[in-house]
Amino acid sequence: MLKLTDLTAQVSAEEGQKTILNGLSLEVPAGEVHAIMGPNGAGKSTLSYVLTGRDGYEVTGGEAMFDGESLLGMAPEDRASKGLFLSFQYPVEIPGVPIMTFVRTAMNSQRKRRGEDEISAPDFIKKAREIGKVLNLDSDMLKRPVNVGFSGGEKKRLEIFQMMMLEPRFAILDETDSGLDIDALRTVADGVNALRSPDRGMLVITHYQRLLDYIKPDKVHVLAAGKIIKTGGPDLAHRLEAEGYDGVLGEAA
Amino acid sequence: MSAAVTTERVRDLTPAERDLSERFDRLPKSGVRADLFDAFAQTGLPHRRMEAWKWSDFRASVGDLKTGGKSRKPLRVEGGIEVRFTGDEISIPDDLPDGLNMFVKTEAQGFGDAELMPLGALAASLVGKTVMVEVTKPVLQPVHMIFDGAGEGLQVARIAFVVREGASLSLVESHVGGAGFSDILMEFGLQAGASVDRTIYQSARADEAVAITTTGHLATKAHFAQTVLAFGAKISRIETRLAYTGAEAKAEMNAAYLARAGHHVDITSHVDHGAESCVTRQVTKGAVTDGGRGIFQGKFLVPRTVGQFTDADMQHNALLLENGAEVFAKPELEIYADDVECAHGNTSGQLDESALFYMRQRGISLNEARALLTEAFIAEALEAAHETVRDQLLEQSRNFLSEEV
Repeated sequence: MLKLTDLTAQVSAEEGQKTILNGLSLEVPAGEVHAIMGPNGAGKSTLSYVLTGRDGYEVTGGEAMFDGESLLGMAPEDRASKGLFLSFQYPVEIPGVPIMTFVRTAMNSQRKRRGEDEISAPDFIKKAREIGKVLNLDSDMLKRPVNVGFSGGEKKRLEIFQMMMLEPRFAILDETDSGLDIDALRTVADGVNALRSPDRGMLVITHYQRLLDYIKPDKVHVLAAGKIIKTGGPDLAHRLEAEGYDGVLGEAA
Repeated sequence: MSAAVTTERVRDLTPAERDLSERFDRLPKSGVRADLFDAFAQTGLPHRRMEAWKWSDFRASVGDLKTGGKSRKPLRVEGGIEVRFTGDEISIPDDLPDGLNMFVKTEAQGFGDAELMPLGALAASLVGKTVMVEVTKPVLQPVHMIFDGAGEGLQVARIAFVVREGASLSLVESHVGGAGFSDILMEFGLQAGASVDRTIYQSARADEAVAITTTGHLATKAHFAQTVLAFGAKISRIETRLAYTGAEAKAEMNAAYLARAGHHVDITSHVDHGAESCVTRQVTKGAVTDGGRGIFQGKFLVPRTVGQFTDADMQHNALLLENGAEVFAKPELEIYADDVECAHGNTSGQLDESALFYMRQRGISLNEARALLTEAFIAEALEAAHETVRDQLLEQSRNFLSEEV
């Protein structure tokens, strides 16, 4: 479903272009959840931005295919309409734009681009209410501007709310566990697990193995210095937790 | 000495000024009218060498006054009392509600601030009919005034409001262009405890010139609230000059301006805090695209002694949406009283790149994302608009960007 081959990418930095991804290859078949773990500066967030098409992240080589179509050169909104969703590590505050307006605009923009009908207002509100309930987001909260004045945990729950509303074909969760207490972590994981399905893929980017106790990955990849240096089953996450990146990376080198 | 001769001695008249002068000569002679035109003729069309007009050069921008274009659609005002200014024609409904009187005066009326407001003086000198509006009670139905140039070269109008003690009026104005040059003068006299709630919508083509000049005098505890949404024209100026004559009066002056390529919007105001304990709140928000130009000039004058306990706040925030957008701002506080609270803020910036990406990642197109963010940015300035038109104003501002690809 998602296939990355020898991907190299640069980021514009103050001191000029800096290579962050350095020949990254990875394949996530439909129906699977893969985890990417790695130390700070390994290129985890860069990968999520490269895949979703953020300005300033320039692909210099390799290929990123999604459902047999190249993502590279596609506008961010077109990638979203193809079904690519990113749960941001740092969700952005948008003063003056209420959550419900925002999500409905997003949903209808995607539908329009896919040649589908817009969702009706009653259907939208019903769906929002149901999903809000699952995530402990009450309707008053959903009337507020996007992420404004939200705690770190609330922002992450709001990311998952958007994901469940938009029902993407492929979701990238970038450090969704950071800033969450154990109860919120469980709530978020329940939401993510509810979306697991045979035709949906997920890439879970995380620092710690903790999240993976709740969202069980099919595979775990270790990202270091811009490439995948080790791939294994769920037990690899536990080994990383026990031995640290140095231990596992030392062995790989 | 006639006005035309005075100006000619200073410099050559532009074709537009020559035309204005000829229009004046064709009108019935009156001393008042001549004084008004003289006040205008001292400067002619305001130009860049005048400090108050340095960014809005009407002399250079007003072309010949031969014809106008197609006018825009006015707002829809549910249950409104519609007063229409179509070219030179004025239509006033026959059955006005209790407490609201309107009548027309054909002789020229004096204008106290003529020297300060040359385009106001020009309108006053050239109108054939001045509409007098007297409000003696709270009037619940909004009055909707539509100014449609109807393809004329010049549209002038003058409306003078007197709002009696304790009376109130809601006024919505649609300035929809359609004249080569629209020059409108509005005067408000608010007696003690009177209140006026005014919403102005202005939209015109990029080959037209628009001036909407307003004066207001507020007696004790009078309340004047004004909300503007302006899209500008080749050149446009919405100038509001208020003076407090009684204590504890209050004014809110909010404006949103949206200028796209070829459009120039000037929001200028002056508030004279000439009585104790008056309150002024002013929020102006602007968004400008490549080739558009926004101007904000605001001045609070707080004289010694009479201006004591003034509480005034002026904010102007502009969004430069693209390279090539221009915004000029001159906020001024001139304070001589010593026990006052006065503040002002002035910012300009661009849309938040990370917010734009966040929105696009959710599937919202770049244009739509910019429109949503722009609407959110200027919405604060439109919050106090009359409820029958507030949503229409928001919709207009949303369309401002999404129309353009």
